[in-house]
Amino acid sequence: MVFGRSKSSSSAPAAASSAAAAACSELRAAYHECFNRWYAEKFAKGQWHKDDCVGEWHKYRACLEEHLEDKHLRQILLESETSYCVQLDPDSSSGQGAASAK
Amino acid sequence: MVVYTQEHVYRHPWDRVTAAAWRKFTDPASRTALSHVADVHTLQRRVDTAAGRLHAERSITVRSPPLPFILRRLLPAAAASPSGAAICHCVETSTVDAPGRAMDVVVRNVSLRGIIEVEERSTFRPHPDRPDDWTQFTQETTIRCRPLAKLAAVAEKVETRCAERFLQNSAKGRDVVERICRYLEAEAAGAAPSAV
Repeated sequence: MVFGRSKSSSSAPAAASSAAAAACSELRAAYHECFNRWYAEKFAKGQWHKDDCVGEWHKYRACLEEHLEDKHLRQILLESETSYCVQLDPDSSSGQGAASAK
Repeated sequence: MVVYTQEHVYRHPWDRVTAAAWRKFTDPASRTALSHVADVHTLQRRVDTAAGRLHAERSITVRSPPLPFILRRLLPAAAASPSGAAICHCVETSTVDAPGRAMDVVVRNVSLRGIIEVEERSTFRPHPDRPDDWTQFTQETTIRCRPLAKLAAVAEKVETRCAERFLQNSAKGRDVVERICRYLEAEAAGAAPSAV
């Protein structure tokens, strides 16, 4: 697709993010399964008032925080903790509407 | 700089097409078609349950096509492989407005931006003629080589090669989304085919 490199010094480029992939694959699969079902059956069909996958996301994210090696990707991952609520639309931040942790 | 625009009409409703688009990189049956994708992780997600908005950022790690020798010399040793391919991390930012039935996806490379910048913007909207049945897909891809690569005097060739690969992969991506749509359609009808 496009050119690039990983920050890891692995000799096999294909294994660039394999540490995170290997360590978090089950938690990722659990999150994807939850997300895909929730999106298709609820969110996209008008039932967006509850986020069903908060628990799965937090477990998966904690794993990534521990195992993700690439500097750029870590930066984006860590941004999500600090800037969570600040970036949301101000008019939708009332109550628990904007929080994913509820 | 090269810019490509593509359009496609999915003969499936918006909710099904966008559900399929989310599964594109993570569906096990798509691995062969999208073999350039080495890894996908969700790095950020926000759900605004009051407004019906969803925002997510995913990393997409891809294998590049083999690079020209001169460009390979510009790469740090860690990125090069014997075959001349390289690993690139892209970030995909998706926003879904469920009440407005709008999904926008932007993919950018985060690796090697000193050499090349690629941006792919996609939109999914209900088709104006049959908003409840069909989905209009548009995609604009911009590829720009940086001055460092231009010095290598192969920038134009690289842009072209990169664009060709992008277009091939876009076409594969559309096929994958079409296939997942059919699967979801069958599943919704209560009879998911055993072979996806």
